[in-house]
Amino acid sequence: MILNINKKQYTVDIQGHETLAEVLRDTCGLTGTKMSCNEAECGACTVIINKKAVLSCITLAADVEGEEITTIEGLSDGDNLHPVQQAFLDHGAVQCGFCSPGMILASKALLDQNPKPDQNDIAYALDGNICRCGGYLKIFDAVRAAAEEKSSVKDKKV
Amino acid sequence: MLLNPFKFHSPADLNEAVRLHNSLNNARILAGGTFVINTLKSLKNMGVKTPENIISLKKIREIKGISRSKEELSIRSMVTITELFESPEITENFPVLKTACRHIATNPIRNMATVGGNLTCRYTWTELGAILVALDAQMHFAGSDGREEIISLEEFFKNQARSSKILKSVSIKYEKNTRTSYQRVRKSSEVDVPLLAVCIKTNFIKKRFADTRVVINNGLEFARRDLKLETFLDSVEPGNQTAASALDHLDTSIYDTKEDDYKKAMFRVSIKNAVNEILQGSKK
Ligand SMILES: Cc1cc2nc3c(=O)[nH]c(=O)nc-3n(C[C@H](O)[C@H](O)[C@H](O)COP(=O)(O)OP(=O)(O)OC[C@H]3O[C@@H](n4cnc5c(N)ncnc54)[C@H](O)[C@@H]3O)c2cc1C
Repeated sequence: MILNINKKQYTVDIQGHETLAEVLRDTCGLTGTKMSCNEAECGACTVIINKKAVLSCITLAADVEGEEITTIEGLSDGDNLHPVQQAFLDHGAVQCGFCSPGMILASKALLDQNPKPDQNDIAYALDGNICRCGGYLKIFDAVRAAAEEKSSVKDKKV
Repeated sequence: MLLNPFKFHSPADLNEAVRLHNSLNNARILAGGTFVINTLKSLKNMGVKTPENIISLKKIREIKGISRSKEELSIRSMVTITELFESPEITENFPVLKTACRHIATNPIRNMATVGGNLTCRYTWTELGAILVALDAQMHFAGSDGREEIISLEEFFKNQARSSKILKSVSIKYEKNTRTSYQRVRKSSEVDVPLLAVCIKTNFIKKRFADTRVVINNGLEFARRDLKLETFLDSVEPGNQTAASALDHLDTSIYDTKEDDYKKAMFRVSIKNAVNEILQGSKK
């Protein structure tokens, strides 16, 4: 079976009952995707599939063959971090770091769809991602800053 | 491994899915997976036997999307909660559904969970049921002989949501002068889940309630109508006291949730709010 992950094709020999989270980590070596509650509640395993944030712990890998999967490893462009990653760094929005991949991917999916989100939009988009350190304020600051950064880059291009 | 082994099937069309569903032993349908996969994990952890076959509906085009005809809207079973929330057709004609979708679960779950799964998963507390019963939705199943079988959602719930068929779509008729209100109370946990809900739909004609449907979800039983309250609302000349008087006309058997007495008080507030919202007329 071939999985399209981060614009690369991975040929994997997997069974029908393997979840995407397990395949990403154990078969593809993409351990940036975290597994925590395994019950669809914490958001640590968030990936983007076809532009939407989804939970890889309740997705069967076999069910997403042919779809476009983005994990945290697919965001940076070489040494250049994605604006959302950079904003998380700049705003100290990472504490223990376990929720960060999921938070960043959920934020990226939001900004791709809505480049100028307000506080409610951010809360709505991140309501499935739990930060066990309680660092939500800085995370929200980072998402707002990434939105401003993205729109100023866009404005400069125009 | 999080799950016990099973054989995974991904039929490309509905006929093939029906054939597999009828012929395979111990098979389970997979839509968005938000319930099935969690359930399979729990069963494995409890050492209980799990299905040998999983049939995914994901590749089947015929059961995706929302479309309209002159009289009705058809919501296919694989439409996700997010798609429903974002649909201009829903925003324009059935805003009460949009209100409900906004509060369901969390963003990634809304992106995955389907309308079909929400109605057929047989958990009494899921939310679309109360609203769709209020809107008198019809369920369209794929019969084993290839013919479509239609049953109202209200009947489906009266039969305890039992069906061995694949749900194709849900249809709702367009109506004029409709006003609706959906009130829901949540229980806090890692992810807030609904505790109880009230949906009222009425055809507000000449400043009076008409053909009102009041649907209650008490979390323990499938959503059902309070016919007593409907009769009261349809007979009354609406005024300042209507919402308060409505509370004297409840079918109390529906609200008696046995162990949870505090829910009765929450129901009374929800019903008052719903009646007042309808009278204020902010929603279609
Ligand atoms: C953490 C969490 C929070 C939640 N919070 C809420 C909430 O606030 N409000 C709410 O309403 N719901 C909530 N849910 C429930 C969620 O909405 C349902 O899990 C979802 O709608 C089920 O849809 P699915 O596509 O994921 O179904 P699946 O898990 O794929 O399927 C569930 C079952 O439904 C049946 N089924 C599915 N589709 C069909 C079909 N087309 N034909 C026949 N049978 C079918 C099958 O029996 C299947 O096994 C929550 C779930 C989770 C995990």
